[in-house]
Amino acid sequence: MELWNHCENPYPFVPNEVLEQAESVRASLPNKYCDPKIAAQLYDEIFDEYRLCDDIGLHIVTNEHHSGINNLWAASPVITGVVANITRKARILSLGTLITVRPDPVRIAEEYATIDVISKGRLEIGFVKSGATEMVSGDANPMRIREREWEAIDLIEKALTTQDGPFSWEGKFFTHPHVNIWPRPYQQPRPDFWAATSDLPTCAELGRRGIVNTLLFGGYDRTRQAFDAYKKARAEAGLPAPGEDRFSYMAFAYVGDTDEEGLRIGQKIAWFLTVSIKSAPQFSKFQPGAVAPEMAPAAWRTGASRRPRPTNLDAEVLVGQGQMFAGNPDTVATQIKEFRKRVGGICHIIMMTRQGLVTHTEAEASFKRAAKYVLPQLQDLPPVDADETAWEARRAAAAK
Amino acid sequence: MSELETLRIGPIELEVLRRRSTHAGAPTLVLLHGINNISPHAPFLDLLAEHGEIVAPSHPGFGKSPGPDDRDTIYDLVHTYRGMLDALPAKKVTLIGFSFGGWIAAEVAAAGHPKLDRLILVDAFGIKLAGREERDFPHLFNTNPAELKRLAWHDPANCPPGSYGVGWHAAIGDAMSDEEMVTLARNWDSLCLYAWRPHMYNPRLKYWLHRIAAPTLVLWGASDLIVTPEYGRTYAGLIPGAGFSVIDSAGHHPELEQPRAFVDNIFRFAGGGRG
Repeated sequence: MELWNHCENPYPFVPNEVLEQAESVRASLPNKYCDPKIAAQLYDEIFDEYRLCDDIGLHIVTNEHHSGINNLWAASPVITGVVANITRKARILSLGTLITVRPDPVRIAEEYATIDVISKGRLEIGFVKSGATEMVSGDANPMRIREREWEAIDLIEKALTTQDGPFSWEGKFFTHPHVNIWPRPYQQPRPDFWAATSDLPTCAELGRRGIVNTLLFGGYDRTRQAFDAYKKARAEAGLPAPGEDRFSYMAFAYVGDTDEEGLRIGQKIAWFLTVSIKSAPQFSKFQPGAVAPEMAPAAWRTGASRRPRPTNLDAEVLVGQGQMFAGNPDTVATQIKEFRKRVGGICHIIMMTRQGLVTHTEAEASFKRAAKYVLPQLQDLPPVDADETAWEARRAAAAK
Repeated sequence: MSELETLRIGPIELEVLRRRSTHAGAPTLVLLHGINNISPHAPFLDLLAEHGEIVAPSHPGFGKSPGPDDRDTIYDLVHTYRGMLDALPAKKVTLIGFSFGGWIAAEVAAAGHPKLDRLILVDAFGIKLAGREERDFPHLFNTNPAELKRLAWHDPANCPPGSYGVGWHAAIGDAMSDEEMVTLARNWDSLCLYAWRPHMYNPRLKYWLHRIAAPTLVLWGASDLIVTPEYGRTYAGLIPGAGFSVIDSAGHHPELEQPRAFVDNIFRFAGGGRG
């Protein structure tokens, strides 16, 4: 298995009274509340964390969100380009730039090819559908985004892999009469593709295309369902069974010296869920396309937005739901191994550690423990299917 | 009595609300609705039907009209409604467009149609007047629904049951049926397809309003803070010979807030059965 560090570069420095009065902490919170000197310090700290990860055998994920306290990575390709230059060994996953918001996929392909060359073939390209405040910040129509996402992916793939261009593209959402990117990617035919989704039809399509499927905080059952949809689609298409390297999961994570420390500092991550996702109704449950019309009565009557809000954010509860890995190194290794079994096999664990109120020092300490004590326990694991049978048997025995 | 019918315009299927006039030989009034399809229970329909035959289609994706498929731009709506005018048996029609439908009606009239006898725009969107850093109207999708409601109505209590205007989200509650919510969600999604960007206007339309040949009345709610009367007056000034009238004690939906005054204005301009 491989461990990845994903930091969203949050900005937890806006006074609480401002956040409490704001209708949304994303999209519409004025940037006067973002001190560029503090931001500069954050960038320095997190780039240092990336250098550390590069040294100790962890891989790196970047992403982007816009106009809010949750994330200062406003342009994933920019940040990924920096990471490519300051690291030497780590794989770098951009998960990703907002392909349903950006108007020109060809430019995205060009940016990624450039990063792949700078990093000498260490780039992984991730796709996210996005939605909610991102559509507002980027003035992108929130309707038809699934369709738009696939057209963007198709165009990016063709731009990355065509070596005898220019070629022309006149699609429904994107037109570009003269596509011919320079440089072409370092990895041939192209860097591996990843996508973040738990939407089952999308997971099936990822399966048919062999794209790495990652879930974000999906917990045991949703993750298992998503991966099963991926495998089923491949089987139905007559394609070979996927390796565990096609599956990835992002969870909150804190590796402490002790279980108590892991849970205590892990609890600081929950700021992400309690504060940084506050959003106005027009950016969430009433945004067009947020729910299918037939689902609107349930969503509107309960006040639910696209994703149900977690009700109990105690670190131990999050651990129990498979949304957080926290404790001492042995505990975390056990949690990850159990997660791997319960979802039917997985290669990539993306740890969201520098999140919420977790400090630079705390984050670095967790990464060091993860690399030194957790990662070795995750190597050369037996095939999960055999293991899973034994696990089911153990669980059945325990139930008696 | 209202009847719901289905009308086919080539590949497009439209739900059409029809109401026969109580007056023989009454003119045909084609109503293009705003952000929501017109409720058959809206009181202004009965008043209007005293003078004209009502034909009120639901735009593709609104009400029970299917779609929209790939035909999801204003351009497609203009051709849909030009096709509908071709298909109607009436030789002449009066086209009345409300709010979002006012934009469509203005586009249809600028493109021209031989059956178009008169045009009435009611608190219409559709053109860009202010400078690049000023909005002519709030962004309907990015503005808090409570604020939209405040801006849209002279008095929200005037909204008749079963009708939903700008800021409709505030009406969500136990009194609203699931079926109504599904329809409102379809309408909202479809409006977004047609009008997210540029938001509720066509940057070219104001240059072609001078092509409107039909006699035109621009009618506005005096208290409309979504699209203000000043905007409406300027809109009217871009249409040759257009009249401009204001309805007191009404916001963005004068047909819902002041149905009698609304219908009186229509027939002072358009004539009709009672003449």
